[in-house]
Amino acid sequence: MTHEPYDTQAALYALGALDGEERTEFERHLAGGCAVCEAALRASAETLAAMVRSRPPMVPPPEVKEALLRRIAPTTPPRRAAARPRTLVWAVGMLVAMIAAAAFTGAFVAARYEGRLGQMAREAAALRERVQRDEAALRQQIALYRSVVDLLRDPQTRIVTLHGLGPSPEATGRIIWHPVNGGHVVVANLPSAPAGKAYELWTIADAAPQPAGVFQVDASGRGTHRIPPLEGGKPVKVFAVTLEPEGGVPAPTGPMVLASK
Amino acid sequence: MATSGAELVRQMAAGDREAFTLFYDRYAPVVFPLILRIVRERADASDVLQEVFWEAWRTADAYDPTRGSPEAWMVTRARTRAIDRIRSTRRRSEMFVAPLDEAIAGQPAPDAAERAEDRGTIRSALDRLPGAQREVIELAYYAGLTQTEIAERLKQPLGTVKTRIRLALERLRDVVRTSP
Repeated sequence: MTHEPYDTQAALYALGALDGEERTEFERHLAGGCAVCEAALRASAETLAAMVRSRPPMVPPPEVKEALLRRIAPTTPPRRAAARPRTLVWAVGMLVAMIAAAAFTGAFVAARYEGRLGQMAREAAALRERVQRDEAALRQQIALYRSVVDLLRDPQTRIVTLHGLGPSPEATGRIIWHPVNGGHVVVANLPSAPAGKAYELWTIADAAPQPAGVFQVDASGRGTHRIPPLEGGKPVKVFAVTLEPEGGVPAPTGPMVLASK
Repeated sequence: MATSGAELVRQMAAGDREAFTLFYDRYAPVVFPLILRIVRERADASDVLQEVFWEAWRTADAYDPTRGSPEAWMVTRARTRAIDRIRSTRRRSEMFVAPLDEAIAGQPAPDAAERAEDRGTIRSALDRLPGAQREVIELAYYAGLTQTEIAERLKQPLGTVKTRIRLALERLRDVVRTSP
């Protein structure tokens, strides 16, 4: 068989115009190793490149170059000395890149997790503090309830009702009172005391009112306060609450907000 | 003296970005008009150009200078990628609208002298071919048509088209050989 048909096919193939069965056949011929066709294809590629080059050049949009330079930046192996064998350069390059990557990853992970661990430690400390605060508050409340329940169990204990007066007619209160052990006052619907002020409880036995401690109410208008027993266990005739300076005063000065009959 | 293209590719294979920049500056202005002429849209041409040079960067170590010049290496790649692009565009358009190859390849080629005038004084190698030969090169190389498609379009027997293409390529080789 003559080579002539392949010369034509090589020309068509060089221009990308060979198709169908012929193309498959020619590629098989090429794969078999034909120096003539290979040379012809190379010559044609150079001819077509020369044809392309013979047209006026055109500067492409600058974004293309910018994008390419960004794209090649991260994969760049380090510069090499010209004399070194390529495989060694690659090996060294890979090693350096791997070490750099490992160091970078390590530092990154460490920095990230140190930061995260620090944050977790701070969060844990804050949480512990809050739990301790809550626990203390609960203990206090339980102690209060327990002492109230203990008092209520005692047949000597009596309950005194307080009525709202003057500025706070809706306010209500109860005194759980034991003549020996003292007692508690619980109030509701009492407005929060203005800044610098507090409510002060008074016990009146036979003479002047005796101060029995200051307390505040919460945002919902409720408050409780432990009342110490009176010296000598004198019977209390009247309980009253007045609005006073925060630190408390020895004798009432402010308006009376609650009082027993 | 300027570094040879083959030396630039060798340096690119070693990861030399400066060599890549020089390589791009040297060959992008050559292949960009080729890509643009094939795909026609400037945005598409920019995409293809980027892909072609990205491939060159990644495959620089596979370049064998005994098998061809870097210019032929890049031109062949650019032409292939650009044709791939219009073929996929054509496939898409065939699903929705009339075949786009009518629009791409069917435009009558303007007179050679007139086109040379459009671009200034330089007559490209292709313009120096006889009209019938120029036409088959245009259809095959720039429009991406196969011999069968060209025969259909020109309403010529396949054998005639084959011969014409082969003669056109031979003539073109003579033209570029005698060009300055």
